[in-house]
Amino acid sequence: MKVAVFGAGATGARVARKLAASDEVESVSVHDPDPQRLEWVVSSLGPAASVAQSPPIESDADAVVVATPSGTQLGIARQAIAEEATVVTTSDDPGETRALLDLDHRARSLRAAVVVGAGYMPGLSCLLARCAAAELDQVDEIHVAKAGTGGPACARQHHRSLSGMALDWRDGEWARRPGGSGRELCWFPDPVSGRDCYRAALPDALLLVPAFPGVNRVTARLAATRRDRFTAPLPMLRPPHPEGGIGAVRVEVRGRRGAERKVVVLGACARPASAAATVAAAAVLHAAAGGVEPGARGLAGIEHPRTLLASLAAQGLRPSRFEGFATFA
Amino acid sequence: MGAGLVALIRRALVAVLTGMAVAAAIRLRVRRRAVPPQSGGWRELGDDELTGAEAFAERG
Repeated sequence: MKVAVFGAGATGARVARKLAASDEVESVSVHDPDPQRLEWVVSSLGPAASVAQSPPIESDADAVVVATPSGTQLGIARQAIAEEATVVTTSDDPGETRALLDLDHRARSLRAAVVVGAGYMPGLSCLLARCAAAELDQVDEIHVAKAGTGGPACARQHHRSLSGMALDWRDGEWARRPGGSGRELCWFPDPVSGRDCYRAALPDALLLVPAFPGVNRVTARLAATRRDRFTAPLPMLRPPHPEGGIGAVRVEVRGRRGAERKVVVLGACARPASAAATVAAAAVLHAAAGGVEPGARGLAGIEHPRTLLASLAAQGLRPSRFEGFATFA
Repeated sequence: MGAGLVALIRRALVAVLTGMAVAAAIRLRVRRRAVPPQSGGWRELGDDELTGAEAFAERG
């Protein structure tokens, strides 16, 4: 399999490295506008990798991973679908996620599989929601939360999202709420532990609602400090760090099993960029193995999620289960 | 003039000290109330549990 990776940042470079190390991947071409970064990344990948400055996409690429900053992924995805390649995107921008999901009809007509939001959150969070829901007969509510950021592009998106409008699914309708509102204390797996989380412009509900017909409520929250919320409407006061520390995701699924009401809480703890790369690379291999039907969807809508989750667990991204009384109000 | 200045400084000092005491009291109260203890714990999923999740998924 030949793979093209767009973006050589904190996530893209790791995706390229993981795919170059896979036996199923014949070659990896890395695209990035920064030639210096590109050379640095490709030189660390070995003979399977090659440099490609910018689009167009190679016509013989079987799969394309789009790990460029959020807001720049749609055009590349469109080109890749036209080449009938499998596409894996990592965007966490709600507008772009909606536009990527709108490519569903075109992707189906060209028999191309498009995985939307294959990162940490969305991505791993969608997969955990699917697996938590598998323990229930009926899913009523899904609440996801994330702590931490990956590379600079992720930190900028985190900053933007707190000043944007959050999109919640409530009783069969979309509800828009201001970012930075709705504080909830969410417990993540150790060592991240308890963090105050707030609504933000996150795309998770857009990906989860189609995958769970009949769900009543879907919300997404982001861990933030008082300073994050206070400075959210302003430009970033200092340049973002090259990479954030350890982060976590948490997924709470409420529903029924038989006559009993049940709450399943799953989570995972890892560096966000590293975890996003693990998810994106595993999603490419999963799609190549026929685990994703043609069309555009998130990881909550794929076939055989256990195979993918087991693959992630084997690479050290092992989910945890919260046992006890759930604190998400 | 001198006595007035001293009184002004004294009032300002009292105001600053009172403000600091109130701020410390609020911070102490917030810290005590901020994070209630977690009523449970996290456990890593085993391979058999991942398999179980798939069984439910395929059932649904």
